Amino acid sequence: MSDSESTAADGSEAATPSPAAPDVAPDVAPTRKARRRPDAAAPAEAEGAPTAEPPAQTSSESTVSQGGWGYWGSWGKSILSTATATVATVGQGLTQVIEKAETSLGIPSPTELSAQVEEEEQQGDDSSKTDTLAADGSSTVGSAMGMLSSLSSVVQSTGKTVLSGGLDALEFIGKKTMDVIAEGDPGFKKTKGLMNRNATLSQVLREAKEREELQSAEKESSDCEKRVVAHYGMLFDEFQGLSHLEALEILSRESESKVKSVLMTLSGNELVELRDELDQIKDSFSLVEFDDEDVDESKDEDGTEFEKEVTEALEQLSVSFTADKLSTACKTACSQINDMSQTDKKEDEGEEEARKPVSVEEVHAAAIRSLAELTARSIELFHKLSELILFSSSSADPSVLSQLVVVLCKEVSLLSKKFTTCLAAAGLNEKGDILNPLITGVFLEASNSASYIQDAFQLLMPILEISHIQKRAESTQHKLILFDSMGEGKFNC
Amino acid sequence: MAYAYLFKYIIIGDTGVGKSCLLLQFTDKRFQPVHDLTIGVEFGARMITIDGKQIKLQIWDTAGQESFRSITRSYYRGAAGALLVYDITRRDTFNHLTTWLEDARQHSNSNMVIMLIGNKSDLESRREVKKEEGEAFAREHGLIFMETSAKTASNVEEAFINTAKEIYEKIQEGVFDINNEANGIKIGPQHPTTNSTLPGSQGGQQAGGGCC
Repeated sequence: MSDSESTAADGSEAATPSPAAPDVAPDVAPTRKARRRPDAAAPAEAEGAPTAEPPAQTSSESTVSQGGWGYWGSWGKSILSTATATVATVGQGLTQVIEKAETSLGIPSPTELSAQVEEEEQQGDDSSKTDTLAADGSSTVGSAMGMLSSLSSVVQSTGKTVLSGGLDALEFIGKKTMDVIAEGDPGFKKTKGLMNRNATLSQVLREAKEREELQSAEKESSDCEKRVVAHYGMLFDEFQGLSHLEALEILSRESESKVKSVLMTLSGNELVELRDELDQIKDSFSLVEFDDEDVDESKDEDGTEFEKEVTEALEQLSVSFTADKLSTACKTACSQINDMSQTDKKEDEGEEEARKPVSVEEVHAAAIRSLAELTARSIELFHKLSELILFSSSSADPSVLSQLVVVLCKEVSLLSKKFTTCLAAAGLNEKGDILNPLITGVFLEASNSASYIQDAFQLLMPILEISHIQKRAESTQHKLILFDSMGEGKFNC
Repeated sequence: MAYAYLFKYIIIGDTGVGKSCLLLQFTDKRFQPVHDLTIGVEFGARMITIDGKQIKLQIWDTAGQESFRSITRSYYRGAAGALLVYDITRRDTFNHLTTWLEDARQHSNSNMVIMLIGNKSDLESRREVKKEEGEAFAREHGLIFMETSAKTASNVEEAFINTAKEIYEKIQEGVFDINNEANGIKIGPQHPTTNSTLPGSQGGQQAGGGCC
């Protein structure tokens, strides 16, 4: 890792020799991103309350939601590894973070600090420091260290520990940095609030969207900057993600209270029995995990693989439903990625007839849009499945549903990887402080997307519970009428 | 993009009366003769202007099938307006109006504005329900009434907008408590002090991005 990064950093260093600041310190940015989720989750956990938002309010559900958060560990990993893959450019992200953090902390500029370090190194004082690193990367890494040690005394002086030292330093900066970063991501602050406040997921998303609407309105009035700006929240709403989420929440809440009232009417063995059965359903909701190490970027060029997996999962459910919108969203994203990478290749070959090269802003906008669409369609799918499960009182196998969540989250991860690769390629000649926030933005929204999908999935639990109770009541000839009518139907969407 | 208010609407009525088509005509200005059966609820949104104010309509288009009734009822709550639709060429859809109305009144807030819509007014030759009957029903139950055609777009805009006007008037009169979201009205995003900026537009240093 350090090898490749040093080399990469060296490349940019060579281009701009002395003002080391924009190019220094390749190591920490990916880590910073990788740790964002855990950071954000931590305060909520510390508060003791159920880590997740309202969908999980009862104590029994809190375990479920923790299962949900446990997932972030692997998400973090995935971002880290993805970031490593796109090291050449992603690495520079640290500069951004540190610059911002410093500005708000009142710490001397990295340029000054790194200049100092460089001087020292040129004098050969610190050669031991960089022994473990490729020699040609030394000055870059050295300057990063100089900067970090000014932030925290924790920083050690060997190459290996720069990484962990850097991390600790960032821990110190802690919340401050989070806030600074959040400024680059309009919706993020509100989203982060998700973990701390007692609000429903749709409320949180709605607020994020409203903030973005305001901002873009302000932007329009004071249009100094003519950038292609993509707002995740607004796009998510445009694809009716918010409405489907709201409707899903309604069904979930009602089912939950129905389950409760059924449990109230039971006693003795009957109650114990039903509780056990419901616990089994709950268990499948806490077991959603996937290892994104498996996500292979080269796989599924055009989204057909994804379509196949979703279709397979849906076939295993007893409801008859196809997820055409979801597949279309995915295929559109894939073909966009292919188009954009082709343009890049042509550019590299220097062909004059090549299409107008895509700008980093365009790639970024496409990435955010695709993530918003895929997430909205995923939530729509959950909503429709809920309706059909309630409608036909069929007992959908929760493990199939959790399999579906894995497929969806994998796809989000895969798309974000592909898009950031595109971004990195499109932004070869861009300055780090333009490109990096965009790459960070894609990773942030990808991580948010997976989080929304996970949270929305948790809303299905009471629905499966009530559907199970209904089915059970039917089979035991108990005329427990929970919904006044039932039927069967086949649908497309 | 920003709006002063957001109104939640529901569209209800028997299956096949043209609820989804009305919505499609209103949001996309097109007509689709063959429409898939709606599962549960689908959504549409559009911005309109009333009294110089931007109002966003968020429309919940419910399934008309009897068997979905128990689910769709859950969606009534928190609607500021309802379009209750029947088909002028099918008498039974008119006869069911009372049930729909009772259902709507029972599961939503009492101030909800209800617009009765006799759809398919383009099919005059097959008319089974006279316009006067619709008017009489509306008068009797305190509804607004209109005949529309989702196919020719006749009165479709008006139906949605007049409902919004009525809601807007109720807000002015203070009938609706706009701070209670259960009424199906939300105040648009305000313009307070927000200074977060867009990605990349605010860095530690001015990034020399060639802007302006």
